Amino acid sequence: MVFDLNKCMGCQTCSVGCKTLWTRDEGQEYQWWCTVNTLPGRGHPRDWEAMGGGYSNDVPQAGRRPARREWGGGWDFNYDEVLRSGKAQDVHLQVLGEQPEWGPNWDEDQGAGEYPNSYFFYLPRLCNHCTKPACVEACPRGAMSKREEDGIVLRDDKSCRGYQFCLEACPYKKIYFNFAREVSEHCILCYPRLEQHVAPSCVRQCPGRAVWFGFLDDESGPVHKLVKKWEIALPLHPEFETEPNVFYIPPILPARLTEANDFDESRPRVPTEYLESLFGPRVRPALETLSREMETTRSGGKSELMDTLIAYWWKDMFKPFDQDPGEIEWSRTAGEQPGKRAG
Amino acid sequence: MEAIKLQLANRTLLKHSAPQWKRAPLRHVALRGTDPEEQPSPYIRAIWSGKRVGVVRTLSVQAAHNRQNLFFRLEWPDPTHNPDYGDGLVFPDAAAVLFPGDGDPPLARMGSPAAVIDAWYWRANRDGGESLMFHGFATEQPKAVQFVVTSADWEDGRWRLVIGGPLEAATDRKRVAFAVWEGSNQERAGLHSYSPQWQELSIG
Repeated sequence: MVFDLNKCMGCQTCSVGCKTLWTRDEGQEYQWWCTVNTLPGRGHPRDWEAMGGGYSNDVPQAGRRPARREWGGGWDFNYDEVLRSGKAQDVHLQVLGEQPEWGPNWDEDQGAGEYPNSYFFYLPRLCNHCTKPACVEACPRGAMSKREEDGIVLRDDKSCRGYQFCLEACPYKKIYFNFAREVSEHCILCYPRLEQHVAPSCVRQCPGRAVWFGFLDDESGPVHKLVKKWEIALPLHPEFETEPNVFYIPPILPARLTEANDFDESRPRVPTEYLESLFGPRVRPALETLSREMETTRSGGKSELMDTLIAYWWKDMFKPFDQDPGEIEWSRTAGEQPGKRAG
Repeated sequence: MEAIKLQLANRTLLKHSAPQWKRAPLRHVALRGTDPEEQPSPYIRAIWSGKRVGVVRTLSVQAAHNRQNLFFRLEWPDPTHNPDYGDGLVFPDAAAVLFPGDGDPPLARMGSPAAVIDAWYWRANRDGGESLMFHGFATEQPKAVQFVVTSADWEDGRWRLVIGGPLEAATDRKRVAFAVWEGSNQERAGLHSYSPQWQELSIG
């Protein structure tokens, strides 16, 4: 999966698409398997990048589980009071009980820098379905596994006893503990959709054409081209050594402005050092490739890379997972195979 | 260890404060922590190496039966009350009475595939108990028939717990052992303290 951070507009349609589909049961109120946060920012859960996990020189690193208050979310609101008590003119919508100190997308659009050269961008995050998943290795019960046929990291719900070593070991903190069912839960990459050739919800719902999906080794597909051929899509925090399979095209943002309000192209709006702290040392060559190809098209030339990034043909972004989910008769019963909707 | 006969109702024997428990002999059982190097996942071995596992080192045990059911009254000091997962940074305290399923199961590894351990398991966040079978650290599976009853209170820095089950499920085992998980020390799965020897169990 590749997200173009130049195109992501932080609309949260991916987050809501996922939430609506997968995390509406008891114990999942605070779970957002797909989240979009503003960067620079503290993220979700708060300050997750400092919580450890992953590997260093192939040695597992200690990680800690986020506290519930560091996740935030799952709040109850005073809907009854505002909407049904006739007090709508006097009371405002607010969280009931203990007041939150953090939540998903808490520091939206704060970013960094000084006007007029302040900057921010959006970072969608979900389970990276890593090639070297620390969660799988951490579980003492073998409840986590990486599916042979497509590499999806899954958890056996019957085997999981909620010991949460997976949460500790995941350096991306993309596993949640379900306090009601006492099990861990995380993104399943919409595998029931994939099995019907339907792209994951977060992919197909994106209105900005900002995400490509497919097999990394499919040389004809855009994911392979963006990651392997042009090398402009990079994993988040490669230093965690889990080898994520979600990749990001680093953001460029508009040019800086001088005090005289002229364009200042001597240095980028987003400090390259900051992007390197996220995506590693391959950021510079990736940005150079992007700039070069943009210049090619600006001067009237043709660029296969730019054509891919523009994404003229929506369904080409996630072939062969371009089946319309509306044409399928879905079943909520485990083990029952979905079929094609009649007519 | 002797389980004396107390001809009392189940609900009475399930009360750790029932005065009749004073008649049951009190055994002080020394516990030790499991070995981090023996843990089943590379992550746990790497992270727990050199750390103290099994902070509960002493357990007071009494046993009694009423011909139908067998009850163990366990008491141990625990300055940190963990009745649940808190804010997500601790685990609920837990304890288990262990019986050899067959053969001579290694207590230091919570059984083996060849010699399983049957456990009457209690966890502080749950009503009732669980009948589990272990064949190694963190291998527990719920048994087909669930029959364990529990009742517990934490007061003045001590857990007082009664775990009960059918007498017939215990009589042919003849030996018993114990395990405690201290939630504030992140103890769960194979990280716990245990009584290192099987104790003879006689039914009075």
